[in-house]
Amino acid sequence: MTVLTRGAYAAPGTSLNFKTGNWRSTEKPVHIHAKAPCHAACPAGEDQQAWFAKMQEGHAQEAWLNLVTANPLPAVTGRVCPHPCETACNRAAIDGALAIHNVERWLGDEAIARGWEYPVDAPAPDAPAVAVIGAGPGGLSAAYHCLRRGLKAEIFEALPEAGGLLRSGIPRTRLPRETLNAEIERLLALPGITLRLHTRLGRDVSLDELNQSHAAVLLAPGCQESKHWDVQGAVPSDLHEGLALLREFMDHGAFPEARNVVVHGGGNTAVDLCRLMKRAGSEHVTLITASGLPGPGTDPDDIINVVPRELEEALEEGIEILDHATVNRLIMKGSKVTGVEVVSLKKEPGSDGRKRRVSFEGTERVLPADMVIPCIGERVDPEGLNHLLDGNYFWPGTPWGKLEDGVYGIGDARGDRGTVAGAIGDGAKAAEAAATYIAGGQDPQLDTREEMPAAGLNPVYYALSPRAEPPKVPPDARDFGTEIEGDIGRDAAMAEAQRCLSCGNCLACDNCWTLCPDNAVIKTQELASDGSHYLFDLDYCKGCGLCAHECPTGYIQMVPETA
Amino acid sequence: MQDQARLAELRQKFGREPAAPTEPRPGERTPREAQPRFRGLESGHRACQGCGEALAARLVMESAGPDVMVANATGCLEVFTTPWPQSAWRVPWIHSLFENSAAVASGMEAAMKAKGKNTKVLAFGGDGGTYDIGFQALSGMLERYHNILYVCYDNEAYMNTGIQRSSSTPHAATTTTSPAGKERMGKRHLKKDLLSIIAAHHIPYAASASVAYPQDLQRKVRYAMGIDGPTFLVVHSPCPLGWRHASALTIEVARKAVECGLFPLVELERGAVTNIMPIRQVRPVTDYLKLQGRFAHLTRDGDPRAQEERDHLQALADYNIQVFGLAGDGDDPADTAGVTTVGRGGPLAGRAS
Ligand SMILES: Cc1cc2nc3c(=O)[nH]c(=O)nc-3n(C[C@H](O)[C@H](O)[C@H](O)COP(=O)(O)OP(=O)(O)OC[C@H]3O[C@@H](n4cnc5c(N)ncnc54)[C@H](O)[C@@H]3O)c2cc1C
Ligand SMILES: Cc1ncc(C[n+]2csc(CCOP(=O)(O)OP(=O)(O)O)c2C)c(N)n1
Ligand code: SF4
Ligand code: SF4
Ligand code: SF4
Ligand SMILES: [Mg+2]
Repeated sequence: MTVLTRGAYAAPGTSLNFKTGNWRSTEKPVHIHAKAPCHAACPAGEDQQAWFAKMQEGHAQEAWLNLVTANPLPAVTGRVCPHPCETACNRAAIDGALAIHNVERWLGDEAIARGWEYPVDAPAPDAPAVAVIGAGPGGLSAAYHCLRRGLKAEIFEALPEAGGLLRSGIPRTRLPRETLNAEIERLLALPGITLRLHTRLGRDVSLDELNQSHAAVLLAPGCQESKHWDVQGAVPSDLHEGLALLREFMDHGAFPEARNVVVHGGGNTAVDLCRLMKRAGSEHVTLITASGLPGPGTDPDDIINVVPRELEEALEEGIEILDHATVNRLIMKGSKVTGVEVVSLKKEPGSDGRKRRVSFEGTERVLPADMVIPCIGERVDPEGLNHLLDGNYFWPGTPWGKLEDGVYGIGDARGDRGTVAGAIGDGAKAAEAAATYIAGGQDPQLDTREEMPAAGLNPVYYALSPRAEPPKVPPDARDFGTEIEGDIGRDAAMAEAQRCLSCGNCLACDNCWTLCPDNAVIKTQELASDGSHYLFDLDYCKGCGLCAHECPTGYIQMVPETA
Repeated sequence: MQDQARLAELRQKFGREPAAPTEPRPGERTPREAQPRFRGLESGHRACQGCGEALAARLVMESAGPDVMVANATGCLEVFTTPWPQSAWRVPWIHSLFENSAAVASGMEAAMKAKGKNTKVLAFGGDGGTYDIGFQALSGMLERYHNILYVCYDNEAYMNTGIQRSSSTPHAATTTTSPAGKERMGKRHLKKDLLSIIAAHHIPYAASASVAYPQDLQRKVRYAMGIDGPTFLVVHSPCPLGWRHASALTIEVARKAVECGLFPLVELERGAVTNIMPIRQVRPVTDYLKLQGRFAHLTRDGDPRAQEERDHLQALADYNIQVFGLAGDGDDPADTAGVTTVGRGGPLAGRAS
């Protein structure tokens, strides 16, 4: 005989019959894949968070495979990109941004060394073919992304070699030719890409013909023509334009002699030229730029458009930079320059809201100069493209670069670009738009997800660890052939990846699963690696918000119950 | 059969759906059932949103179970887990009185011994049930050297009956029986140093833990489970209702209590301090106080009484830091920052690097 106590008993776990989920008053937790800031800032569209995640799991090859779904040239961009991703990185506020470019470069080099294959299939024999003009980074990326979308690509390049400015502009000390060649060659070897060298649009083939013969045309001609430069009407008789000088140097290895060089302009061409001329023996090399140098007081829009590391190295090497200044007057002896008059200036807001350049009276000074080199940028060579240009560039206005039905503009030629990564991203977007156009659809959708700010993370859960620093050739040992910045190597690259905060994306830390007072977070497998292994059981979640608060990455957010 | 009849009668009387056991259903496992941990305390309990005590008990059960039985003193934990005819527990569990969970557990342990079983007995109580009314029973249990792990869920007041002060309520906190006002700045007396009293019983193991450091808490439970004899654990468990903080801040509040030194995490064996959790970065007590409504009267600017009480609490925290040597020297994977560090795939603490 059983005698029951007063309260009797209940069967184990029967509280599950009572759904506390209806206690939630206003908000419920959801998993939100916000964009990591690095990804949002990457002109090439890489998702650094995603590939760092693969490395955190120990899979370098998977990381590279993820990376090249956006950018087929990581060994190149890892060396030359101004890496806005690092500027945007949420870790900058903690103990230094991730050394993204160093890891990207290591992955790129590793892929070349180990012969990892691009994750693309050969297009079907009857796949439509797209014509690509220009084999610079924009054109190469466009061709690659056509393949990823099942299309064939035929590249037309005016010059005898592919590479664009990667080959003709960027010095070897920053981008060794072996690396450039290796990465470009493996891309061009993909089945479905044909490269026609010595073939110039406007001379050997016309846009009309290409429109007839191909399903779409992607234009990546870059900017090849110098813009006109004078100072109050004066032009020295022996004028050398910056990019032309650089190209000559790349081909012949020598500069015209000059003791005091003044470079006028701002940007990578100007800085590369300054550094090479100084190394080649010029005593004083001065860069005069209307922009400002990076610093706490400088408006981001006003900062000189140069890879930050390059600027640092230039200063190390003794290049003098006069920022917020311009050349006011050339001082000539006959038709030869002997000096320049410099004046301070700044971009000030005008009454129409647009910035205008104001030079400040009383700041004029004279510098001796036996050579003044303009580096004020180039324009699209209009031959064969005249009807598509709006002034010097295409200015397509949309991210897809559409100029006409089935015709897209990419890279520097757009007018609103200027980096290798920008050209690569354009190539991907134009290929995507062309693919939907060929399939008879509208422009694709942009990714409008929110970005995860540093304030959305819970920093308590991350350990401090310093940023990896690559080896570097010291300033006095730099020459014309040796790469200045070195490789960080496997160990440092894998360790650096561990520093990634996984902004906006689950890192499977188990915090939510461990800390929910209501067991309303369910983990579906013992070893999780990402957010796909956690569920909310809204039957029991009381909406306390604790999980969202303790999620290090911001992957859990509380949203209104009705959403 | 009498059982069934009586149950039916009671259910009839209380007008509730008959509760059927949800498990086991062979061959079919829901994601909840398939989780890789022991579910000693299930969902559906009636704790408030963000309840620190519910979390603490679940964490304890996870690492103590499954071969355990529990004696649970009256208090929130008992009430919210067992709204008859349902129970959130998935182990044998007995509700004692408010004052005698240690005594009931002692009897359970003796019964297990008599039956030749190894099932470990746990005794649970709130701070009221431990520091105050159940203290005598607890002292007896320790002295008689029962093989029991006693866990005190310390939410620093009698929460279940409406936030009355206990001897565990911190100095200067407002409760319904120590209200802040013209006469007093909250509780006049100090928080009882229970752990020292427990340790004076010369038991094998007594420790404090916090819900903010679940891995540390669970390590301490596992360690105590391995000891044949009386062991004691007090777990700092914020109560959003009684402490008056947002339910999302439970862990943050608990963490700051440890980081400022007001709730030291220490381990004592045979009366001697054998381990502490070093604080990587000691923070001022105001960081902790300002998150909670029960200390709101202390954060008023320009009130000399508030200033004095803040300084008093800071002095108490400094005292703890000094006496236990809590200030860390150099980074330690087992200090407050080290144990919280996560990496992809979980906490880094205890992982081979
Ligand atoms: C000195 C220098 C340094 C630089 N440093 C950096 C740097 O560090 N980081 C960075 O991100 N960017 C840098 N840049 C900018 C970067 O090189 C360009 O943004 C990028 O190369 C643009 O790529 P693109 O494909 O649009 O054009 P390009 O690289 O200019 O390629 C265009 C290609 O199209 C071909 N072409 C042109 N017209 C025709 C035609 N009608 N028919 C057939 N083919 C044609 C050209 O021969 C060329 O090969 C630098 C530029 C210079 C000049
Ligand atoms: C002998 C006795 N006195 C008073 C009560 C009423 N009572 C029930 S729970 C409780 C307070 C419990 O406080 P605590 O032990 O701190 O647990 P908490 O509810 O805070 O978790 C009181 C006073 C009782 N049940 N028995
Ligand atoms: S921490 Fe990682 S995910 Fe976050 S911005 Fe930096 S690289 Fe991207
Ligand atoms: S911690 Fe649990 S109960 Fe609170 S919101 Fe998150 S899932 Fe819901
Ligand atoms: S708390 Fe951790 S496991 Fe949970 S969603 Fe956030 S990152 Fe993922
Ligand atoms: Mg209590």
